[in-house]
This record gives sequence, structure tokens and C-alpha cells, in this order.
Amino acid sequence: MSSLASAAPTAVIRGRTAPPGAAARRTLPSAATQRAPYLFIAPFYLLYVLFMIVPIVAALFLSLTSWVGLGTPDFVGLRNYGNLLGDSSFWTAAGNSGLYVLVAVVLVVPCSLLIAQALNARGLRARDLFRVTYFVPMVVSPIVVALIFSMLLDTEYGLVNSFLHAAFGLPGVDWLTDPSWARASVSFVLLWRWVGYLTIFFLAGLQAVPRELYEAAELDGAGPVRSFTTVTLPAIKPVTAFVVVTSFISAAQLFDEPYLLTGGGPGESTLSLAMFVYRAAFERQQFGYAAAAGVLLFVLVFAVSQLLNRALQIGRAA
Amino acid sequence: MTISRRDLLRSALVLGSAAALGPTVAGCATRSAAAPPMTSGDVDLLFWTHDQGYIDFFSHAVELADRATSYRYSLQPLQIAADDLVTKLIAQAVAGRGMPDVAGLETGNFARLLRGDLAPELLEPLDGAVADVRDDLIEARLAPFSRDGHLYALDSDVPMVVYYRRDDVFAELGIPTEFESWEELARIGAKVHDKTGQSLGTVVTGTDLGQVVQQFWIPLLQRGGGLFDADGELSIETPEAEEVLTFLVDGVQSGFLSTVSDVYGPAMQAALKQGRILGIAMPSWYEAYGLKPNVPEQAGAWRIGALPPFERGGGRTSVGGGTGFAAVTGSSRTAASADFVAAAYLDPDQQVRRFKDLGYLPTRRSAYQDQRLLTLEDDYLGGQRAFEVFADLVDEAPAVYLSPDIQILNTVLAGALVDAYRGRSTPSQALTQAAETFRSQADR
Repeated sequence: MSSLASAAPTAVIRGRTAPPGAAARRTLPSAATQRAPYLFIAPFYLLYVLFMIVPIVAALFLSLTSWVGLGTPDFVGLRNYGNLLGDSSFWTAAGNSGLYVLVAVVLVVPCSLLIAQALNARGLRARDLFRVTYFVPMVVSPIVVALIFSMLLDTEYGLVNSFLHAAFGLPGVDWLTDPSWARASVSFVLLWRWVGYLTIFFLAGLQAVPRELYEAAELDGAGPVRSFTTVTLPAIKPVTAFVVVTSFISAAQLFDEPYLLTGGGPGESTLSLAMFVYRAAFERQQFGYAAAAGVLLFVLVFAVSQLLNRALQIGRAA
Repeated sequence: MTISRRDLLRSALVLGSAAALGPTVAGCATRSAAAPPMTSGDVDLLFWTHDQGYIDFFSHAVELADRATSYRYSLQPLQIAADDLVTKLIAQAVAGRGMPDVAGLETGNFARLLRGDLAPELLEPLDGAVADVRDDLIEARLAPFSRDGHLYALDSDVPMVVYYRRDDVFAELGIPTEFESWEELARIGAKVHDKTGQSLGTVVTGTDLGQVVQQFWIPLLQRGGGLFDADGELSIETPEAEEVLTFLVDGVQSGFLSTVSDVYGPAMQAALKQGRILGIAMPSWYEAYGLKPNVPEQAGAWRIGALPPFERGGGRTSVGGGTGFAAVTGSSRTAASADFVAAAYLDPDQQVRRFKDLGYLPTRRSAYQDQRLLTLEDDYLGGQRAFEVFADLVDEAPAVYLSPDIQILNTVLAGALVDAYRGRSTPSQALTQAAETFRSQADR
């Protein structure tokens, strides 16, 4: 009886006078239902924590220690960072990485755009052949690339010097053993390998530009250059921004090309920051020092990437 | 208290990091205590090396080791690049599993284990295993693999350096085969280069830093110097070092020495095939690993001889390279591994077989009187009794001292050497610059 008595007014409340929040409380999901979304997204976060956050935290911890790779790390505070700032080798590597970034952003990206523009031209024959040709260097193993270029660029017995001598009577150039030429050689290989890959991105962007825009520009009297600067470039700005940022990140962490082609030499003239980290850890057993350099590299890349993101307005509506 | 979705994710992130970081850092700790050691019975040894020749050699040695010890061995070989071997060894030690039982450590990479307590943490001292023949072992080859008075690896070789020459072309050009000194050879070499464009030696200027340095280290050791002294201190700012580098620089500039990117690869092969390089000072193993693979068609044309001494002093030979075999500690099979290395290497017949099969010279002094080796004729060297040359030189083999910082020196010195060869700096400037840079980078 009492239960019925109490049930009736409740029903009235539910039916007529319940406030808006009451309905929400009534339909509160069960605990299992509440957990379900988190369970769905959990694998990503679990892997993210395990393979991103933990290594970063571990690197931060290691960077404050002196560790040879085995045994207990000795806590040294910020000494590794202090040593790095006074290490000429680190600054040489930073300068070289800066050069590679410049080559990637100032040379490779524009070249890729120009090639993509050429490949996007109407009536171009064998377009797919060109596309494959430009893309092939990216899929060739870096080991093979290094082997071939080291044979081509050998001072005494390389094909390039033989050709230069036979054709123009020029003396041998120390492509890989002169500091300046070695940097130029690594930069050239960087250009050779990456241009085709980035071209694909630009080509995709160019093909998405509406033809009507070009027709309108033509009606307004714009020539090819004017069309390129006023139609093409604004239209592919998101793609350009993406390519610039990813090129910057890749070039700042460049490892394969200098490692395989010059070993960072002669001396340290082509040493990159990523090689510096590798060398400290896996050739010199200075894991704490390597971790500190890795942390600085991470901070630098992260900060500049964020600045580029903001400057280029990546991910924001036009 | 209500927990927002953002709070929940943040908490999970922090807890996850803490949970995962614990084992990560714990993994850095010293490995746990070893299981009770095996004293006899079947032993399956994990065997790591960078050289297929060693796999063959040790596989053949199993039967002998079975007879010489209380174990019955079987081998599980794994071939890994010399650099990667040490890296993987340390990584597996951190992981606490997957360690080899026996590892072949190339000299330059063994030096990495001299940092901190890596050598005693990873390797079993072999002092006991070699005690019976300790006095017969060539002292110069114990130094590179020793630390704090303990021997951690047995060298596979006494990699004595000799002068390889194209005997047929030397005869053709009227070049003598005996020289009073390097300086005399250099004078003749400069004339030959002026006349024919050919060179009587090499220096390396390529990207393999170890090779670049080795081509300077070899004559430096011969002259009585070294990269490091017995205490592991840098010793490149010496009159001997400057004299040797000046000699090499002058040789490059006169054409007596040719620059090559490496002494094993395509560039050297091209130079040898074209007959542009007629001689080279290299260790005993260079015949098997440099000449035969690159110019097999020149079999019979090459000969070896003692290095000419420097006018201002030094011996008639040097050393280069070497690989030490070590027993990895911390396993129930450690004692068995040490016995296996000792049995495979120190047995007199094995010392003979190692030279016959691999070209690696014996590490026991008594083997240098073995008639089986002294009468051995080498077809590639035109039937020359090569071992007689080495036996004559063995007591002059200089000791090599390493430092955990040798990789740093390789980097800075290689660049300085190439600068000197190219005339971008004087020998004195190059060595001083290398030493200063080394000191700024060591002990990090």
C-alpha cells in the first residue's frame, strides 16, 4: 500500500512537473555504458603512453644521469646540458642540421612544387612514367643510395670525377672528403631523394584546384606566372604548409644520408644532430649525454614546429 | 567529486608513465645473480661473431673442446656486424636475456667496454683459463683486451703489419725489394709516381673513420708511438706522431702514397686492378680480406716483406686490428664458455690451423717455431714462405693500448688527418687540433 501511494505522486511528477534535469538523471547510463567510450579509445592512449610518453619521460630522466648502458645510472643533475652547451661538436652538428633544414625547406620544397606543376600540365605525355621516375629515389634503400653515390663521388676512381676530367680536363673534386663539398654532396642526395616524394603531395594539391579559378584568372588577363602566384599558391597553401612542416621535422632529424654517405665526416663536417645522439649513445656509451642531446633536439623541433603551425595556420579554416 | 573526461585521461597518462617508467629504469640496474655454474655435461653455446671464418673455425673446434674439457659442446652461431655486436650485447644485458655465451669482439669495439664497469659486468676474466700457457702468450696482444690486470678476451691473431708489393711490377720497373728505411722507399716512390703515375702505398681519406685513423696508427706504432699510452692517456702530441704524419703528408704530396676512400671496397679494387697501387703496408690478414677478394687474378704477383724502419727509430713491423674472444659472464654456462675459448684457441694444433684456414697468426710464441707453418708455401704470394717473414718479426710486434674514448679520437683525428693530407693544415696543427677537440669531448 505504501509503495503504491508513494509511486503515484512520483508518476505525476514524472509526467507533468519534473524539472529538465530530472529527466537526465532518470536516463543516466549504467557504469558499463559509461566506461565503454573510454575502453574504445583506450588502446590508442595505452600505446601512446607506452611508446611516446614513457620514452620521453625516460629520456628526460636519463638526461640527468651519467650511464654507460649497464649498471645503475648516476644522477648528475643538469651537468649533461651544461656540457652540451660547451661542446663544439654539438654546435657543429646543430649547424649542419640547420643547413639540412634550409636545404629541405628552401630548395627541396620549391623544386618539388615546380616539378609537380610541370607534371600537372595539360597534355603531358607519359605523366605516370615521370611520376614514378621522380618517386623511385624515395623507395630505394638508403644503403643502396649511399653505395651508389659513394662510388660515383669517389675522388680518385669515381665516375663523376672521371667524367669531369675526360670532358673538361678538370682535376678531381673531393666530393666526400672536403668539408664543403661533403656538405654539398649530402645536400644533393637529400634533394635527389626527397623531391619526388614531396612532389606527390603537391601534385595531389594541384589536382584539387578548381579549373574554373584558372579560367577566371585567364579571363582577367592573368598570364601563367600571375595565375601561379594568385591562384595556385593560395589554393595549395594547406598542402604547402604540411609539406614545409614535415620537411622541417624530417630534415632536423636527418640521419640516413650523412650516416651512410659520409659517416658524418670528414671530421664532423656533415654530422647531424640525430647522428650526434646516435654516436654518443651507441659508439661512445654516453647514454645520459645522448639523452640530453635528444631532449634538446626534441624541444627545438617541437618549438619550431609549433611556430610554423601557427605561422602557416595549419588546420585552421581559411 | 566528479571526474571529468580530461581529468581521467590525464590521470591515466601520469599513472601509465609512472608504471612503465619503473621497469624501464629498473632495467638499467645491474643484472641479477647467475644461476649455479655447470661443471660438466651437454652445453649449448650461443656464439656471436662478425666473421664467418670464425664460425667455421670454432665449429671445427667443438670436437677438440669436447676432448679437452668435461663438457660436450654444441654451437649456435650468429653473425653480426662488429659495431652492432657490442651494442646488441649491452642491450641484451639490460634486457636480462638473449645474451651470447661467447662473443668475438673486434678491438676498436672492445674499447667501448672499457667505459665504466662494462667489461667486468659483461665478461668473465680469462686469467684462470690461460694460466697454464700465460708465459707463452705474446704479451703485446694481451694489452688490448686487459683491464685492471685482468684479461677479458683472447686475441685471435697477432695482426703484424708487413709491406705487400707487386713483385712483378717492381721487377719490371727496376724497384729494389729491400729498403734501408721508409724515407728511402718514399724517395723511390716519388720518382716512380713522376714517371708512371703509380704509387707504392696508400692513406685512407674516406668515410670509414677507423680506417682513416688506422693508416696513421700503423706507422705510428711502428715508430714507437701510439694513440694512447699504457695508462689510456692520449699521446698524439708527440714528436713521433708529428714525424709520422709529416711523412705521410709528404708522401701524399709527392704521389708516393695514393689516397683511397677505403682499402677493401670498390675504389681500392679499381686501383689494384689498374695497377695504380703497387704496394701497401697492411696487417697479415689483408691478403685474405683485401687482396684475394679484390684481385684474385693477381695471384702469384704479390710478395710480402718486413716494413722498412723509420730513419729516426722504431721497429720493422706494426699491428692493426684484432678480434678478442670472450666468455660472457652471469650464466650457468660461463665456465664452460671460458674453457671452450681456451681449448679452441690455445691448443698448439689450433694455433697452426687458424693460420692455415684464416690467415690469423698464432698468439703463442712457441708456435712460431712450428715447422708446419715455417715450411708453408703461399700460392697467392708466388709460393713464398710467408710465415718465415712473420716469425722473424714477431718479437718486434708493438703493444697496443686502448681507451674507452677511442671512438671519440677516431672522429676528431680522422678529420684532422684528412685536413693534413689535403694541405688544409700542417701536421702539427692537425694533431694539436685533434687533441684539443678530443679533450673537450672525452669524459662526458
